[in-house]
Amino acid sequence: MSKSILSGVKVVEFATMVSGPYCGKLLGDLGADVIKVEPPGGDPARECGPFPATGPDKEQSALFLYVNTSKRGVALDVEKPEGLEVLRRLIKWADVLIDNHPPRYLENLGLSWKEVSSLNPGLVYTSITPYGRTGPRANEEGDELTLIHSGGIGYLLPTRAEDITRPPVKMGGYAVGYYGGLAAAVATMAALLGRQKSGKGQLIDISLQEVVLAHVRGIAGARYHGVPWNRVPAVPPAMGRMKTSDGYILIAPVENHQWKAFVELMGNPEWASGPEWDSMFYRGQHMFEIAPQIQGWVLQQRKQDLYHQGAGKGIPMGPINTVKDVLESPQYAARGYFVEVEHPKAGKYKYPGWPYQMSATPPRVSSPAPLLGQHNREVLCSVLNYSEEEYRHLQQLGAIKPVTDERR
Amino acid sequence: MLPLEGIRVADFTWVWAGPYAAMVLATFGAEVIKIEGHKRPDMIRRGVTGWRVRDDPTAIEVTAIPSTGFHALNMSKKSVTLDMAMPEGRELARRLAAMSDVVMDNMRPGAMAALGLGYEDLRKLRPDIIVLSSSSHGQKGPYSRYEGFATIHQSIGGQSYLTGYPDDGPSPGPNDTDIMNATTTAFIIMAAIYHRQQTGEGQFIDFSQCEGVTSLIGEAVLGYQMNGVIPERMGNAHPKYAPHNLYRCWGVDRWIAIEVHSDEEFAILARAMGKPELASDPRFATMEARKKNEAELDRIIEDWTRWRSLERLEDELRQAGLRVAMCQDYRDLYADPHLRARGAFVTIDAPVMGKLELVGVPWKMSDCQPVFRPAPILGEHNDYVLRELLGLSQTEIEELRRKEVIL
Repeated sequence: MSKSILSGVKVVEFATMVSGPYCGKLLGDLGADVIKVEPPGGDPARECGPFPATGPDKEQSALFLYVNTSKRGVALDVEKPEGLEVLRRLIKWADVLIDNHPPRYLENLGLSWKEVSSLNPGLVYTSITPYGRTGPRANEEGDELTLIHSGGIGYLLPTRAEDITRPPVKMGGYAVGYYGGLAAAVATMAALLGRQKSGKGQLIDISLQEVVLAHVRGIAGARYHGVPWNRVPAVPPAMGRMKTSDGYILIAPVENHQWKAFVELMGNPEWASGPEWDSMFYRGQHMFEIAPQIQGWVLQQRKQDLYHQGAGKGIPMGPINTVKDVLESPQYAARGYFVEVEHPKAGKYKYPGWPYQMSATPPRVSSPAPLLGQHNREVLCSVLNYSEEEYRHLQQLGAIKPVTDERR
Repeated sequence: MLPLEGIRVADFTWVWAGPYAAMVLATFGAEVIKIEGHKRPDMIRRGVTGWRVRDDPTAIEVTAIPSTGFHALNMSKKSVTLDMAMPEGRELARRLAAMSDVVMDNMRPGAMAALGLGYEDLRKLRPDIIVLSSSSHGQKGPYSRYEGFATIHQSIGGQSYLTGYPDDGPSPGPNDTDIMNATTTAFIIMAAIYHRQQTGEGQFIDFSQCEGVTSLIGEAVLGYQMNGVIPERMGNAHPKYAPHNLYRCWGVDRWIAIEVHSDEEFAILARAMGKPELASDPRFATMEARKKNEAELDRIIEDWTRWRSLERLEDELRQAGLRVAMCQDYRDLYADPHLRARGAFVTIDAPVMGKLELVGVPWKMSDCQPVFRPAPILGEHNDYVLRELLGLSQTEIEELRRKEVIL
């Protein structure tokens, strides 16, 4: 096996929750040497869970465990001058700095883009903020709820609302954070490629609001062509989401041959037999008239069985899977999508892997998420060459978190 | 110099997820050549799906001129037409692929190999080639022949189940999954280019769009294994924070998003509402209490917001330092002064339609100005590709045109 793609690339992740850490994970799983800097109390993702039935535990938050694989971790108080000096030395060491604090946070600590780039001219500084580093809202805060709605996806959810007096909703989970981490990883990778040519680093300014906006590229259709833009469908919902005996399924036999196959699958019922149903345009306008009959039939089916029957005949459909369904997917099992990761405190679980299987450089989890401050000594003494004495001094000052169960 | 200058991409993708990934590479300076059969071009060129023809929605008119939707996903590319059903078309495609650093497709698994354009064929022509095939479920496995699109992938991957009202069914998104998978695709292609620059080694990348979704709900996947609880839909609610919802404002379908993360923030909100006493009210004084009495609190807040203008309320609460946002529809987005000040939209001069303002790319880089050109007319670069790249003579090109291998 060839070596990892990003081996030798040094990353400092000064980031919390999802967006910055997911970017760090993407790079770390490709072999980059990622050092995560947490505040002494830990990344707030450690408080988010989900947790085991035994209750909350900073070392067992599923969110933290998932988005922080393949990293070393230091717990550092950057608001103390000695702690800040450690961060400064890490930035000097690094090729990439990932930061998702408010734009002014590092600046106020004396680490503005100008300062860090003079400290390290080759540095790629990936900054992820709610609204970006420029513009009237540069210093405002935002999170999953506010950003999904200010960026445009939220207004369209739920996609088949039947009641305009109910509010739009957010996406479940941490979609904004993950989408932001992906966008940050794209730009970071581009900057690393650019650096090969120029030898110079650069500042990347990711606005999470714009990341959400990028996912509704279709707004031009609404503006220029009056394409409907609403969570309440233009015609009463006919197909799409349907209820099965055991959950939900998405069914979309739009084209004529797909509709024909679907009618056959339903056993050629009388109510779908008229020749008018052969026309895609007619169906688009009238199908809600037979939606109750279709729903009646679908309700007697099981989602996975119906999927195999339908998709096998080329009808576009898919079960609306729960995480349990996802974990039990024979397809994922056949591709070896899940990877087992054992964490010293949390234990062994199946983690989602990567949607990309690479013939030459398969990604891998090189280590589980770090315990809080787990690599304090290793990073300070081996990476930054602090002496044992200096290290202990920093611990006494509280600039780095003393790790109670630190081995050695 | 742009990061991908000197990289050529043969783009056999169509519809949404593939084309946007290749467009991202083009904005970074790659020469992206989109290959389409002129008898079966990318369906997004067509009027209805691509938003252009409004007068007759029954006419699935295939035109050479890019639709608005086609521009949104195919800016900065070149276009060549090759009829892949004909041996001459396939041969030219192979030659073009062999001159490319990256070959991408999102056809059904096996289709490229059947055309003689599979990774095994191409690596014989060019050993360091990078090939990415994107599909619903990946190239192998029991589901690999099942096809799908964005909302289906989002549902199979587990995201749709988590989105929606708690008392109603799940909701897939507005095709955001295709853009997300495209972003992931662009990332991994650039990583493979980086690897090739370091080692000279190319590779095959087998991309599953359903898996792309599941990789973004990792905490739910782990959480279920930890505690056996299947996560359900929560509307706009947060597991801990309250208030955390959308509230009706004056007008039709106008909503403000308010998320409060601390008691201090709640006190600010209470003051803004002219009800400072709420902050010390035992029902709402702590996060736990607010979460417990969330429905009641939401009613109190909405009784206040519903008589107020969204724009002014948002402004007022923002200035007070709260996390708030308008729930923006497409007009709000285009008018958003912040997005406009940051240049989130790009203007292209599109053939026939004229000036179009489209969503750009969501990253600003100090040393990399992205390339934005209108999407190509079907076959616009046939001469360039056939004559300059592949070295065909005028006579040969005319012969191909006569045989309808090219447009």
